[in-house]
Order: sequence, then structure tokens, then C-alpha cells
Amino acid sequence: MPTLPIFPERTGDTTKKNIAPIKLELLVTIVDRKKAEFYADIIQSFEVNFQFLEDARGTAKSEILDYLGLTESEKTVIFSVAREDKVDDIMFALDMRFRSIKGGKGVAVSVPLTSMIGSTVYAFLCNAVGTVNGGAAV
Amino acid sequence: MSDKSYEMIFCIINSGFSETVMDAAREAGARGGTVVRARGTAGKEAEELFKITVHPDKEVVMILVPKDIKDDVLSAIYKSTGIDTAGQGIAFSVAVNRTVGLG
Repeated sequence: MPTLPIFPERTGDTTKKNIAPIKLELLVTIVDRKKAEFYADIIQSFEVNFQFLEDARGTAKSEILDYLGLTESEKTVIFSVAREDKVDDIMFALDMRFRSIKGGKGVAVSVPLTSMIGSTVYAFLCNAVGTVNGGAAV
Repeated sequence: MSDKSYEMIFCIINSGFSETVMDAAREAGARGGTVVRARGTAGKEAEELFKITVHPDKEVVMILVPKDIKDDVLSAIYKSTGIDTAGQGIAFSVAVNRTVGLG
């Protein structure tokens, strides 16, 4: 089956820029540490191939946590690179769980990526499986 | 969900100064933040040229704020933990496309 190249072939016209057909966004999700793997799995199910998790802590003062009956300030920040066309679905899925799961509250924001380099990495990040033939990007 | 009225402030500071940053940010109207531990690096030549010593132990404070108070929060952070203070803070903000979980 013929596959399409991710970027068009370079031509003699050097003024023509390579424009990625699929935009990518960096998703930053902050959740309680105990729920980090759960949320990372949800995000991964939306064709997200690259994520990294970083331990963090919330900045609410201990008296506020006590007042609210909370003990948890240990957080995890999940950084995920997602396709722009999937971000709305991911956000919706996260929002549903933030609202419904006990102890599962969190915050998620998305930031657009403006540049990247490497077509294989780009194909990996946007899960462009149709562009890979026998393990090598074409 | 699609929401361009917020910005995410990143503040990179020497380890132990995250509370100072948050106190200043709260004064300017921020609600809360998240602290991640990090490790700083700098070129030796640049350190000598600018007479800045980069401590390797860093913290990154991430604060999501409404766009209309972003400048106030950045200014407050700069005054309390700017590059000329012991915290040696560097703060910047990025626009976010979408947000969930704030309500």
C-alpha cells in the first residue's frame, strides 16, 4: 500500500517552508500522585505515544488543607504530547473523571507546540502509523 | 473547554524559594501553584561573563492565572525572587489553548 511522506519533498524553492500537516500540543495535567498512572493511561488511549511524569507538590498551605479536610499535597505532573485534533477529546475525558472520581480532581491545560525537528520523531509523536514501513519512516 | 483567557506562569528558582514565589503570586491574585524539582545548568563562560552562579538545585513553580492578572503576578514574582535576589528567579508565561478542572 503506498504511503504518503510526512513532509513534501524538498524542491529547489528554498523559500517554501515545511509545514506539519498535523499540529501537536503539549498537555500538562496535574493530579494527585496516587491517581497519576490512572490518568496517564487515559491520555495514552488517545493515540498519545510520548508522556513523562514528574513528581511535584501543591502549594496550598497546611492549614488550608486541614480546613478543607485534605491531606494530599503530593502531586504528579503529566507532560504529554498530543495531536491537536485529539486534545478536545482528551480534555473531555479528563474533565469527566475530574468531576466524578473521588480524590481524582485535577487540572489540565494544553499549550501549542510551534516547532520541532526530525520527521521520524514527528511521526512517532502524532502516531502517523501509515508513514512507517518496516520500522523505517518513509 | 477551549479557553484562551488563562496563561501558565513558569518560575525557575533556587531550591527553597517556592514559598516566597507563591506568597508574592498570591498577593497579586494567584490561587495556587505546583512545584516540581529540577536541576539547573549553565555554561561556565556565561556564568563568569554575567557574574551569575547557577545553583544546580532548582524548583519550577507552575501557576495558572487569568490573563488579566498575569503581568501583576510576574511583576510580584520579579520583585520578590528576581534574578538579583537570592532566589535567582526567572519567570515567563505561556498562553494555553484549553483548560479543564478549574471550576
